[in-house]
Amino acid sequence: MRSSAQHPTESFDVVVIGGGVMGTSVAARLSATNVRVCLVEAENDLCEGASKGNAGNAISFYGEPGTEETELLNASNLVWEELCGRLGVPYRRIGAVMVATTAEEVERLAEVHDQVLACGVRARMLTTAQVHAAEPLVTDACLAGMELPDEGLIDPMRLTIGYGALAVANGVELVLGQPVIGVEHDEHGSVVITAQRRIRARYVVNAAGLHSDRISALAAGEELRNWPRRGQYAILDRAFGHRMSRIVFSTATPKTKGINVMPTTHGSVLLGPTAHDDFDGDDSRATDAETVQHVIEQAARLVPATAGAYVIKTFAANRPASEERHRIRFDRLVPNLLHVHSRSAGISMSPMLGERVLQVLNGAGLDATERANPVVRLPSVPSLRGCARPEELVAANPLYGQVVCACENVSAAEIEAALTSHVPATSVDGVRKRTGAGYGRCQGSLCMAGVSFMTALRTGTGPADVRQTSRGTVGA
Amino acid sequence: MTALIVIGAGPSGLGVATTLARETGDTVCLVDRIPVPGGEAGWDDPQVRAYVADAEAAGVQLLLGHMAVRWAAGVLLLLGPGVARTEKARHLFFAGGCRPATAADLRLAGERPAGVLPATVAEHLLTSGVGLWHRPLLIGDGPWASSIGEHIRRTGARVLSLNGQGDWADETICHDGAVEVLGRDRVRGVRLLDGPGSVPRDVDCDAIILCAGAIPNRNVDGALTESDEGVTFVQPTAPRSVRGRFEHGQSAAREWIRSMEGNQ
Repeated sequence: MRSSAQHPTESFDVVVIGGGVMGTSVAARLSATNVRVCLVEAENDLCEGASKGNAGNAISFYGEPGTEETELLNASNLVWEELCGRLGVPYRRIGAVMVATTAEEVERLAEVHDQVLACGVRARMLTTAQVHAAEPLVTDACLAGMELPDEGLIDPMRLTIGYGALAVANGVELVLGQPVIGVEHDEHGSVVITAQRRIRARYVVNAAGLHSDRISALAAGEELRNWPRRGQYAILDRAFGHRMSRIVFSTATPKTKGINVMPTTHGSVLLGPTAHDDFDGDDSRATDAETVQHVIEQAARLVPATAGAYVIKTFAANRPASEERHRIRFDRLVPNLLHVHSRSAGISMSPMLGERVLQVLNGAGLDATERANPVVRLPSVPSLRGCARPEELVAANPLYGQVVCACENVSAAEIEAALTSHVPATSVDGVRKRTGAGYGRCQGSLCMAGVSFMTALRTGTGPADVRQTSRGTVGA
Repeated sequence: MTALIVIGAGPSGLGVATTLARETGDTVCLVDRIPVPGGEAGWDDPQVRAYVADAEAAGVQLLLGHMAVRWAAGVLLLLGPGVARTEKARHLFFAGGCRPATAADLRLAGERPAGVLPATVAEHLLTSGVGLWHRPLLIGDGPWASSIGEHIRRTGARVLSLNGQGDWADETICHDGAVEVLGRDRVRGVRLLDGPGSVPRDVDCDAIILCAGAIPNRNVDGALTESDEGVTFVQPTAPRSVRGRFEHGQSAAREWIRSMEGNQ
């Protein structure tokens, strides 16, 4: 068996560690230049960390005025329609209402309103009547509200994988299933080491999310600290979702954490999240009955009709908490190690993040020049669901008529595309991330056998060893 | 002649369609997303074959391999490989069968590893003949539990049942408290909780098959709930026999016919 030292060393200008939304968006932007990029991801698919558990809300407002974070959010918010059109990612600029139901919340809402305006983000205070005009399902106990018209719905998984696919289309080397186990430095740059690869680069981008601290430590960089901030969620059936008109936020106060009621691009509705800091945690995604019940109860205080809606799934996801809200800066000890991290706003700043990272890298001597004709648009794979003229899709590709996922109307054409694209699905869950098959109310009861079969065929596996998730097989 | 459409060519749907064809003057179209009739009972069940022959003799038009996707304003959109067509009907009968309770239905908490599957999926996978699990836990006592349990036992596995009934399991556990799934990458067991103060019990398993309940499928937009216009749902959870479901379908059709006559 060859030891790591015997693997040939490949050479790049930039190696990006982490295949979540931040790493992939950086790789995608860099791929439009002459820079040679390698993207390394520990799991067997992109978007397996915080980006996968994201609520799917492209936020307009998050933090402090005058910060880089706010600047990136504002710049990103302007370009969603254009970006998502090119990547073929569902996006809806649906708008949000933030709702106050107690005197304390009303006071807090006024403060939030001032902060939002100070950040250069659009917001408007609303009377109870105006809240109900925007979203009739909001509780009658609403005392006041605030409109955030630029909030949008995004599919975070398709977005992340879309960035990755664009990067690969432009020649980025994608390395999956290879956790980083070492980072060495010499006079030529750094070498990122995995069990099977030695990847040399002039710059290392640490976009490892929850594992950023471990990567920094391996690289002899600053002592960073990340821990999982776990949020539990319940997902409501799309039969309820189509009744909603806006994202509904609660007004978070120091005493209460905000449980929100958020439509998704699938048509379902997410209730949540909670926020539990698991300081010694290791990325467990376990739910517990009590917390799920709490989520459902709190959501019903905001939108009473959710109490009667059908819950199709519950899940937990970890935000990559750290002491710093936001990091786009070189390590203080290792001059070519660039940390790229956000506690909670990675998705929402991703459209313009790559541009900022490119500027920072160029400022440090990367000298990237734009390519003449980079790929900027992914091949279009229309969705059967919601299509006004399905007969046209079927005429163009007969596999659009073969509906595999009955609940979400996902056709064999879309599943085949997911299994053969630039960053193909290699598991049943990977197909779900890319197409929504298995996401709906029967949770795979009608389609998972078919999806497993199609996945097994494309990955050369059998019924026992086809992967159900990035890490586990269907059979034992 | 106006048309009536029945979605689902399993025993219930066959019962509805044959009765409508014989007892109304309408053309009756029987649709199924699978290219063969019989639904979960299977096309080669002798009783199913007889019912299909009956249906054809009664003039039912079979439209197999077509998935009903949308129902709106008396028009049903149907899709099949290379096919997109619409059929007009004055009434729709949805006989699309039932499915097992999901993990959310069962309030399963805990981790989300691979190896947790609905019974309907396990059934399909087992037809490959490959032994997939050594120590699966079947949750619930729905219509799939005993046949899957027996099938898996024949592969040499040791089958555990949680809240199943009958003697098809090697070991049956009764528990009505909370259940948490254990295992990160792949399922390794469940934790049974009785409430604060009690000691949880862990049960090892290498697969969890969800076999509880029999929840009506709903997957045609515009025909999702009882309040949707022009739809009658025929999805018996009991009886479980082919004949029982066929007769249930017949009764449902007759009841509808009577209700229409009452409106004239």
